[in-house]
Amino acid sequence: MEFVSPEGLRLDGRRPMEMRQIRAQIGVVAKADGSASFEMGNTKVIAAVYGPREVQNRSQQISDQALVRCEYSMANFSTGDRMRKPKGDRRSMEISLVICQTMEACILTHLMPRSQIDIFVQVLQADGGTRSACINAATLALADAGIPMCDLITSCSAGYLNSTPLLDLNYVEDSAGGPDVTVGILSKSDKVTLLQMDAKLPMDIFENVMQLAIEGCKAVANYIREILLENTKQLEYRRGR
Amino acid sequence: MDDRSLNLTTSFIDQIVVPGDVVLDLSSMSNQTIKLGGGLRQDCDTISVMKAGKLKFSKPNKYWVESSQKRYVPCVEDTILGTVVDSKADNFLVDIKGPTLAFLPVLAFEGGTRRNIPKYEAGTLLYVRVVKANAGMNPELSCTDASGKAAEFGVLKDGYMFETSTGLSRMLLSSPTCPVLEALGKKLSFEIAIGLNGRVWVNAASPSTVILVSNAIMNSESLSGVQQRIMVEKLMQKFQSSS
Repeated sequence: MEFVSPEGLRLDGRRPMEMRQIRAQIGVVAKADGSASFEMGNTKVIAAVYGPREVQNRSQQISDQALVRCEYSMANFSTGDRMRKPKGDRRSMEISLVICQTMEACILTHLMPRSQIDIFVQVLQADGGTRSACINAATLALADAGIPMCDLITSCSAGYLNSTPLLDLNYVEDSAGGPDVTVGILSKSDKVTLLQMDAKLPMDIFENVMQLAIEGCKAVANYIREILLENTKQLEYRRGR
Repeated sequence: MDDRSLNLTTSFIDQIVVPGDVVLDLSSMSNQTIKLGGGLRQDCDTISVMKAGKLKFSKPNKYWVESSQKRYVPCVEDTILGTVVDSKADNFLVDIKGPTLAFLPVLAFEGGTRRNIPKYEAGTLLYVRVVKANAGMNPELSCTDASGKAAEFGVLKDGYMFETSTGLSRMLLSSPTCPVLEALGKKLSFEIAIGLNGRVWVNAASPSTVILVSNAIMNSESLSGVQQRIMVEKLMQKFQSSS
């Protein structure tokens, strides 16, 4: 099947280096300490953060840093066919672990010893790139909750189909069987905290694809920064100070 | 070099900053002592931001980030509202919306001795003062002021407690009196206790007054002074026209 037409257009009309439209909102879950919703094209996710609060399971308490727990789940209605088991399957457990390790790289856990930070991410609509959307949403939710972070983490995916590096794959391109590289970086220091790939790629092409994904991450970082600045401004300025 | 460092700091002071922003470059400032408050950390030669908020500077050398969240970071000498979770032999365990539970020693009351230890059930609301707040330990509270007098600390009976953000609590406690409390105080009589940890307790003679005051305060989170007064006016009109 042709994923890039001879004119250079993908299946949804994008150019190979074009990302899908991103939209974010902060403070969508009233009960949570911090929350955000993030959309990349048709992929919509919601992240809610609780903490830092008292550890619920005393045996898991860490004496010199905070415990970060993450749970990734997909709503039954998020995929084309209704899913029977939204969480607890292998893929969800793996993505939960991946998000947890990625966010732990930027949260300054040593400032909150013996406490717990919970990150819950739920996918409302899945159209490829859910992992990246979840990490971006989690970053915004953590910033909204006021949890000390050393930097903002953003993530984006890229692939290689029809001999062209493609940025931000959607579901159809993702399930084509080609490689899918997901990269997560610390936006200001340009350090990579997450790098995953499935399928195979030769090294030189891999470098191109990874560079493309990093460019995508930087674009997301600019947008996330703007959203965060706007939200904080509304909280501070409206109080007349 | 000095101009560039001045440009760097003046461009960020009183500006909104997000985690990761580098606000000070220490290599270009020499022989100065800088005091860092909440929300900032030192990373080798640069000072970067940990929390999203407004960067503040007070002469001669204090920098900090002011932000408003739903959770509270315990600070010494803060007055807060806590709920009793459990009571142990030596202290009560109190939830103060912070990273860990706080301890309230059973003797930290005016005239407190081993013979007259108060009995608090789980869920009792207390107005307390933070005595110790170190990073690795549970914070310690007290129901007396620094000289040992009761000074309004202790149990808050009846009334209604609701939660707000820490920024709204700071605004309610600011002086001169914030517009919403001033407007409410002119027409209604009520009792209020505000905790810096984002909890507010209101008590009045009739339940409708309590609900009116609570709603007015909760609505005023993102309103400016003038908007707050207008909002209170509208609430009062509805209240008077219906009663």
